[in-house]
Amino acid sequence: MTIGSVVERPAFPTKRDEAWRYAPHRTLAELAFGPPVELGANVPVDLDAQIPAIEGPRIVVINGVVDTERSHLGAPTGVHLSTLAEKVGGGSELVAAHIDVHEPADAFVALNLEYGVDGAVVHVAEGLEVDVPIQIVDIEIPDRTQNASCTGVVIHVGSGSSATVVETRLGVGTEFGGSNIRTTVTLDDGATLEHILLQDVPTTQVHLSRIDVTQGADSAYRARSFNLGAAYGRVAYHVRLQGVGAHADLSGLFFGFGEQTLDQQLSVVHAVPDCTSRQSFRGVLDDESTGVFNGGIDVRPGADGTDAVQSNDNLILSNRAEINTQPRLEILADEVACKHGATVGQLDDTALYYMRSRGIPVDDARRLLINGFADQVVDDVGIEAVRTWITQRLGHDIDV
Amino acid sequence: MLHVENLTATIGDKQILKGLDLDVEAGEVHAIMGPNGSGKSTFAHALAGRDGYEIGGVATLDGADLLEMEPEERAAAGVFMGFQYPVEIPGVNNMYFLRTALNSVRKARGEKEIGARDFLAVAKQAMDLVEMKQDFLDRAVNAGFSGGEKKRNEILQMAVMEPKLAVLDETDSGLDIDALRIIASGVNALRSPERSMIVITHYQRLLDYIKPDFVHVLVDGRIVRSGDHTLALHLEDHGYADFVNHDLDDAPERPLTGASS
Repeated sequence: MTIGSVVERPAFPTKRDEAWRYAPHRTLAELAFGPPVELGANVPVDLDAQIPAIEGPRIVVINGVVDTERSHLGAPTGVHLSTLAEKVGGGSELVAAHIDVHEPADAFVALNLEYGVDGAVVHVAEGLEVDVPIQIVDIEIPDRTQNASCTGVVIHVGSGSSATVVETRLGVGTEFGGSNIRTTVTLDDGATLEHILLQDVPTTQVHLSRIDVTQGADSAYRARSFNLGAAYGRVAYHVRLQGVGAHADLSGLFFGFGEQTLDQQLSVVHAVPDCTSRQSFRGVLDDESTGVFNGGIDVRPGADGTDAVQSNDNLILSNRAEINTQPRLEILADEVACKHGATVGQLDDTALYYMRSRGIPVDDARRLLINGFADQVVDDVGIEAVRTWITQRLGHDIDV
Repeated sequence: MLHVENLTATIGDKQILKGLDLDVEAGEVHAIMGPNGSGKSTFAHALAGRDGYEIGGVATLDGADLLEMEPEERAAAGVFMGFQYPVEIPGVNNMYFLRTALNSVRKARGEKEIGARDFLAVAKQAMDLVEMKQDFLDRAVNAGFSGGEKKRNEILQMAVMEPKLAVLDETDSGLDIDALRIIASGVNALRSPERSMIVITHYQRLLDYIKPDFVHVLVDGRIVRSGDHTLALHLEDHGYADFVNHDLDDAPERPLTGASS
């Protein structure tokens, strides 16, 4: 199957599919995907006010089409930014892993293969330390006739190189709609990628992210996901540790209000010996929001010496909020160290009292405690502009 | 300054304070001693405003009714409680917490908030008082602190907040002799003619270092005896058994020469 071709789609997932159990199936069926429709340069988006304040190269994609006006494709030597449409058209090897998907995992992967014909491509040559973050911005502006779009992201980091990619997903307007973004990451031997994902589309929209990662020997993948927006915000990582000594470190924060459902689906496959993986996600759920953490560790036969740790800690702020957390461990190798743990708690009354006894008003004390919980994920982000973006976003929205 | 009259505190159907009377004037240090379960900590929390008690009676600070106030309002009115078990708050930076606390009470009092730089000077002074290093402020509030560090952090907070009334609940519990000395010297440095203190302790040992103007014995939710610091020495020798029967006069006399080593 190749991109842009008409594919036979698997049926839409149902509640019986574990990975889609908490998805709003009826809402998903209302998404009308189609070929991308270019909106032109007159799109009313004040981009710089909404994305982290990072100077440097960026690719901006609106409704599945790269907006060259808003993009800054110039990049440091050895870093090549281009569009998926161009690479697919040119038959580039670079995007082969993205488009040669023989058995789409679900209907949304198939839709993405069919309609996600444009998007961002980042290529880092070997032996480079890229110190400027590369930004990818996706914006969904639903239209009444076609309310949903598909787009692709391809990131390839060459042998021994290191890079940082910041992906920000936003939306405009109050119309119902959705975005389906599929990212394919390939790390060659010894490559390092810090991959930050900021999902903050309006709560009138649905957002589906899927990130497929293939790692070579001694490579390191650090994912930091902030799943904040959307009525249904889904972030699904599928990481395959394919080279000996590879390390995957996935962490994230999901922070739900209103009737949001924020869904994290993780699957880390240890295919070869002596790889390490970490999954560490925190959830804060207020109002009637729902959180999902479905974390898989899959240790294949022969992947001896695997070291995998998973944790999911949740803070529930309302008695109508809900968290569904589930570890899935399948271990078919020897001498494996796998640990997992999950916690669910409420704001600590004693801590609130302690802070109030120091004069801090109860609303501020709540805010401090919530931020303190969330900040332990935020502090882990190396780029100050991204940390600022997140704390402003959270500070702005916490309704205490 | 502090006026407490017929104070009662009940949790569920269990009455803990059964009519406590106490007056503390400006500049005075009062020690409250008592056996376990006598209501010492409950008294401290009743003044600080902890939820969960049914409170009766009167507690006013300079005429203002404390019992009507939320905990943060009491802090703004000048009440500070040093916790027996300071709470760990992971993820909240100690320095930020302190500055937020100070600025919250300043704001509540209609005073100007203090900027980060000026606050650093205030914090520095407080740190010196309890012999703490700068990195202490960079850590999360009490998270991973040793018992002694937590108690020193309480005194540091008190130094920053500059309360009218400090209620120190078993500040000496779990301290070794060096930590006790540091804490006591911090507390002594904060004594002033405008500030009152209530020092709650189970043991007389702390009062060797912080010499109280008055000592009260709390038994079964009431103050059963008040005296000067020699009362504490009597307790050291004889325990609280005498007071359970309200019968001090049978105890032998003890010379008023301060603590024995």
